[in-house]
Amino acid sequence: MSEAQLIQGNEACARGALAAGCNFYGGYPITPSSEIAEHMVRMLPDAGGVFVQMEDEIASLAAVIGASLAGSKAMTATSGPGFSLMQEHIGFAVMAEVPCVVVNVMRGGPSTGLPTSPSQGDVMQARWGTHGDHPAIVLAPSSVGEVFDLTVRAFNLAERFRTPVILLYDEVIGHTRESVQLPEKVEIVDRVRPDGDAADFLPKAADATGVPPLPAFGDGYRFHVTGLSHDERGFPTDDGHVAGALLDRIHTKVSDYEDEITAAETFMLDDAEVALFAYGIVGRSAREAVLRSRDAGIKAGLIRPTTLWPFPSQQVAAAAAQVDKVIVAEMNLGQMIGEVERATAGQAEVVGHMRADGEPITPSELVGVVSAGGGGGH
Amino acid sequence: MTRSEIRIAGAGGQGVVTAGRILAEAAILSGSNATHNQVYGPQSRGGASRSDVVIAGDEIGFPLADEIDLLIALSSEAFEKYRPEIVDGGRVIVDSRCAPEADDDNTSDFAVVDTARAVSGGQLVTGVVALGVLQAYAGLVDADALGEAVAARVPAKHRAMNLEALRAGRELVSGAIP
Repeated sequence: MSEAQLIQGNEACARGALAAGCNFYGGYPITPSSEIAEHMVRMLPDAGGVFVQMEDEIASLAAVIGASLAGSKAMTATSGPGFSLMQEHIGFAVMAEVPCVVVNVMRGGPSTGLPTSPSQGDVMQARWGTHGDHPAIVLAPSSVGEVFDLTVRAFNLAERFRTPVILLYDEVIGHTRESVQLPEKVEIVDRVRPDGDAADFLPKAADATGVPPLPAFGDGYRFHVTGLSHDERGFPTDDGHVAGALLDRIHTKVSDYEDEITAAETFMLDDAEVALFAYGIVGRSAREAVLRSRDAGIKAGLIRPTTLWPFPSQQVAAAAAQVDKVIVAEMNLGQMIGEVERATAGQAEVVGHMRADGEPITPSELVGVVSAGGGGGH
Repeated sequence: MTRSEIRIAGAGGQGVVTAGRILAEAAILSGSNATHNQVYGPQSRGGASRSDVVIAGDEIGFPLADEIDLLIALSSEAFEKYRPEIVDGGRVIVDSRCAPEADDDNTSDFAVVDTARAVSGGQLVTGVVALGVLQAYAGLVDADALGEAVAARVPAKHRAMNLEALRAGRELVSGAIP
């Protein structure tokens, strides 16, 4: 471990990316994510990587996809307006199976909204923003230290599953500075590359893992990349069986490993009668609110997912089985609460506490919500 | 030490964000844990700006001020907006030149703005003068650690001026009539 340093969330993201082996950044700075680009442009060239400021967010993710296909570990970072522009290419990266990391530091929306204020209004966009059926891996850190750890994890998951991974956090997490000790060394996963005869190479043929090996352009393997439905050779097809099998594989290569991907922290749930469900900065508020509610004699607990997608349904169901009520607190008008209701499946009452005015949900606010029995919002 | 929540609030251009960051760095140098958060509008100057600093002996849960122990208000707007968030027994440092209506019992008045102007000819070191006041008035961090944090954070060419601003802020407290 390094010495304790006061580091901003966005800086931790940049450092996590470098630790994970990121060597390409293509981006277009936007508040409240700009510090990620600032740190990358300072650090990446010295680490032997390439930083390119693109003309917009569409081009940014295009550059990232190209760099990844050329063998780089590549990322971009943005906020809501830019994330909207990136949706087309997120779908392309899913279909072409291109590992990459997209960071969205959420600010108030819709449109340009509240540029310098926090929000959690993009959690459903992160799941369903690009068209068509597609898997999504979306990670949600709650602290500066966790931003570092989950940035590393985002790269590792992207490489392992050959898919875009989204790191999603709010402005407060991005701009807060905390005293952290960063690890000197992290576990790194690299994509599997082909080692067979180049003449027989089928770029979209997968083994039992469902993930085809990915050569870099220049390795000597020829391959075609397309967003159209394609066969194992990588060429477009309108054969329904082939297209259906591709879509199925793209889903199951993630869903088969959901248990390894999903993660949620639980806190004081064992004897809890009411559980708070919260993520990002609200997860921090909720943890404080649990402690203060217990001081006031209310048996409260917390479930805090660090993967929003795939949704940690089993963990939520297990928590719901123990409590009478689940209070979902989020900085939007009610997005993840639908998933919580689905996972809870009637085992506990589910109520929401929503806030979307650009201010974070505070511990005091949640203590009031818990003591009042939940519900409401601004 | 128990958790202390400090909010430094004023207008963009007063160095409020930098001051908060320096305070958090000084807290870490003093052996405490600390967090810092900045809130500002889309403008680079003139809009409302604030820094929250939380200092504690152990792990910090919520990293923002929720129940403010010490508010440094460098504008009327900041005083009015954040007065309701001050915890019972909390204190306020103001400059009555910026917030003339701030005369609650828990409020102490220091000539932060004029002092900053005297040191720098402008308002840029206002936040650092306020840190000098804060340290002399409330402790919270070691005086030497605060000096070290100021010296490390500000550009080299402005280091002497900022250290002078810190000293002048401290003297506002030591010279104040009780």
